[in-house]
Amino acid sequence: MGKNKNKGRRNKKGQARLSESVAVMFIFFVLVLFGIMFYYKYSQIAMVEKEERLVDERAIDMTLRTLFLPELMCTRGKAEPEDNCVDMMKVRHVNNTFQYFDYYFNLFGYAKIVVYETYPGNNNWVLYDRQRINTSMEYRPTFFIVTLKDEASNLVEADYRFGYLEVGIYT
Amino acid sequence: MKFKKGNKRAQMEMAGLVVIVILITLGMLFMAQFAMKDDGKKKIFTRKGLAYSAMGGFMKVSINDSQCSPGYIGSQSPRLGKELIEDCANNPSGVSDSIYNCRGLHTCEFLQQFITEQLNETLGVWGRDYIFTSKLIIPDTENVVKLFDYIKGGNGCPKWKDRDGSGLFPIHTGSGLVENELYLC
Repeated sequence: MGKNKNKGRRNKKGQARLSESVAVMFIFFVLVLFGIMFYYKYSQIAMVEKEERLVDERAIDMTLRTLFLPELMCTRGKAEPEDNCVDMMKVRHVNNTFQYFDYYFNLFGYAKIVVYETYPGNNNWVLYDRQRINTSMEYRPTFFIVTLKDEASNLVEADYRFGYLEVGIYT
Repeated sequence: MKFKKGNKRAQMEMAGLVVIVILITLGMLFMAQFAMKDDGKKKIFTRKGLAYSAMGGFMKVSINDSQCSPGYIGSQSPRLGKELIEDCANNPSGVSDSIYNCRGLHTCEFLQQFITEQLNETLGVWGRDYIFTSKLIIPDTENVVKLFDYIKGGNGCPKWKDRDGSGLFPIHTGSGLVENELYLC
C-alpha cells in the first residue's frame, strides 16, 4: 500500500516535470521561430535595399559617363575639359548619333538622357532614349546640375547657361 | 543533500531564464535596428556631387540681361561668379549703388533673386532641402558679413541634420574673400 502511494506521488512529480520541460521547450521554439521570421523579413528587405543601391550605383555611373563623354563635354584651349559642363554646339547635333549607333547602346543600355536649360530659356534636348518594348518598367531618373556652354550665341566669349542633366535608367 | 538538489535545480532554471532574456534582447535589438534604418531611396552619395555641380554652375553662368550691360565696360555678359559677386562685395546693398543693374535691381538683390529662382527650379522641384550661403571675410579685421540673406529650400539644412556641402567656392574681391557654399540634405 505504502509502496503504491510512493509510486503515485513519484509519477505525479514526473508528470509535472515533464509538462514543465514541454512548456520550456515550447517557449524556446516559439522564440526561435520568431527569430527565424524576423531574420527572413530582414534579409528580404536587405535584398531590396541592395538592389536599390545597385540601381543607384548604375545611375551614378551612367551620369558620370555622360558628363565625361567627349561627345558632350566642354573643352577649352587644347581640349582641356571643363567640369560639369555640356557643350551646346555638340548637344544640338548629338541625338542623331546617339540614337542609331550600337556603340551607345552598349554604353548606356535601356536609358534616357535629357539636357534641360533653366536659364535664360526653358528648353530641353532629348539626347538618348531607349526603352524595352512591351514590358512594364520603372523609370529612375538622376539629376545633375550643369552649365551649358554656347559658343554660337556670342562671338567674343562663350555664353554659359544654367541647366541640368537628367539621366534615367529603366529597371 | 535535499537542499543541494534544490539549489542545482534553481540554478538550472536561472540559466534557462537568462537564455530566454538574451534571446528576447537580441530580438529587440534586431527590431530596433530595423526600425532605425534610413529610407533606402535616399541617394546620399549623390548629394555631394549635386551640391558641387550646382555651385560650379552658379560660378560660371553668364547673365543675359540688357539691363546688366550699361554699367559694364565691354560687350560681355557679366558672370555670376566673377563680376556680379565682386560687384556685390564691393558695393553692398543699402550702402552704395552697384555697377550692374540686372533686372533693374541692385546686384546683391539680383543675386539673391536669381539664385533662389534657379535653386527652386532644380533642387526645389526634386524635393531637396538646401541652404545657400555667401559670406564676405573682410581682411585684417576677420569680420564675416553676409552678402545677402541665406537662401533656404524646404526645411533648410541646419548643422545637426545629416548634410553634405559643395565645399567652399572662394572668390577674391577688392573688399575681401567671398566664400560661397551650398548644403544639401
